[in-house]
Amino acid sequence: MPLRFEKVDFEYSPGTPFAFQALKNIDLELAEGKMTAIIGATGSGKTTMVQHLNALLLPSKGTVNVLDFQITAGKKFTEVKKLRHQVGLVFQFAEYQLFEETILKDVCFGPLNFGVAEKDAETIARRCLKTVGIDPADYDKSPLELSGGQKRRVAIAGILAMRPKVLVLDEPTAGLDPQGAQTMMELFRKINKEEGITVLVVTHNMEHVLEFCDEVVVLEKGELLMQTDIRTFFENYEYMEKANINPPAIIRFKELLRKNGMEISSDVLDIEALASAIAGRRVR
Amino acid sequence: MKNITLGQYIPLDSFFHKLDPRSKICAMMAILIAIFVPAGFIGYAILAVVLVACILLAKLQISFVIKAMKPMVMMMFFLTIINVFVIKTGNLLWTLGPITIYDDALKQTGYIVVRLALMIMTTTLLTATTKPMDMTLGIEDLLSPLEKLHVPTHDIAMMIALALRFIPTLIDEAERILKAQASRGVDFENGSLKEKISAIMSLIVPMFVSCFQRADDLADAMEARGYVVGAKRVRYKILKFTTGDYAVIIIANLLLAGMIFLAVRGTV
Repeated sequence: MPLRFEKVDFEYSPGTPFAFQALKNIDLELAEGKMTAIIGATGSGKTTMVQHLNALLLPSKGTVNVLDFQITAGKKFTEVKKLRHQVGLVFQFAEYQLFEETILKDVCFGPLNFGVAEKDAETIARRCLKTVGIDPADYDKSPLELSGGQKRRVAIAGILAMRPKVLVLDEPTAGLDPQGAQTMMELFRKINKEEGITVLVVTHNMEHVLEFCDEVVVLEKGELLMQTDIRTFFENYEYMEKANINPPAIIRFKELLRKNGMEISSDVLDIEALASAIAGRRVR
Repeated sequence: MKNITLGQYIPLDSFFHKLDPRSKICAMMAILIAIFVPAGFIGYAILAVVLVACILLAKLQISFVIKAMKPMVMMMFFLTIINVFVIKTGNLLWTLGPITIYDDALKQTGYIVVRLALMIMTTTLLTATTKPMDMTLGIEDLLSPLEKLHVPTHDIAMMIALALRFIPTLIDEAERILKAQASRGVDFENGSLKEKISAIMSLIVPMFVSCFQRADDLADAMEARGYVVGAKRVRYKILKFTTGDYAVIIIANLLLAGMIFLAVRGTV
């Protein structure tokens, strides 16, 4: 089952002087098993949109379909817990949600809430902590002893341990060092490819979008501006300039080449391919 | 959690919003005292009419003020029950076995409920039309005579200002952590006592951590910008009285005088 938004509106604090419509008529379908980037300026409704996927926010109008669940505006949604088990949501600055005495316990927290036996939860937790690259010697430490980046990893392990079918990440790499951010994105891509988990990632980093994602969803002021595969997205250079999106270095480089009379195929999206494309030309 | 209306500032453009916070605080004090003058229901009716007029003048919606009273409904309810059964003076109205109800009890209860409602109207009028920062400036100025007694009025005002400043931030933070834990399967509404305690812990521990973190960062940021505790500081915003301010204080005090007059006449 794909993830589908049907004419979804969402309004914060309706009927008060602070009322704010954060989503307007969102119509969107995301295929299963893909890794999709959600981009847009701050305040464009990205976070609001992804919070609909596990019923943290309920639509003011319209319907959200997630896996086998259907959340319709005005109807009581009763399967919240089941849905949240299957849709893992990693929040912005997820490190603030750690609270248990030890790292291992904190990662176990999610699975235990969803009724996994204690022993199994611990096995899963150990595996997930290994996946995100936490040293086993640290498992019994307090989460507060870790550095910011490590805390973030533990928090992400806490979500992975729930073994969700859909993984939603809200700016998972914000504030991390470039190397750490890169490894983290590689990890998400690996999970997506190897386990077939649908991944949605809210991000401002176009390099990550280009390198790791299949599709792009662009939001602007609560409206869906475009949904497309990344190749088409990065082909449209003028659009990116107009929308104030900073294109990845390789796309900028290709644009410079094009301006100076060297047209490169739109399939070329990484450095090696670009290098051989240029080299190929010179030979010819 | 965003539905807490008690004490919330509503950014509008009205006569009351433009008033000096000091005059509003003084006027509120006078009205609050007036509410406690036993001027009978006629007096309360006059106060109620004036306050409703003020609320409309401040462009606030009556429904907003009513919403602000909601947290007090339980309190009013308990006070009513206690009063009705405890006060045993006046004429006997009703008997059922050991339960007796006197007319004084009903009258007293009526007074208390009306007083509470009027108090909430008054304070809501002040907080909804005054920015928290202006309020603290006003409080600081009004407390300034105490400086002669070595009361650190500026520090007190700064503490109030900081506390008020962080309420929305902390509400946002709590909401975010609440959501983050909810997506990890925490059920904040149902569950056994043990589960509930664990649910609350998963909110409180991260809140504590981030509060201390914020306090630390804030202290550093203030020091970095040259803030010294107890040092002489100048004001960016200078408060100024206008004709409207004098008018409001005079009207509030006239109301107080009127209530006292009604009360005295009533007892004579």
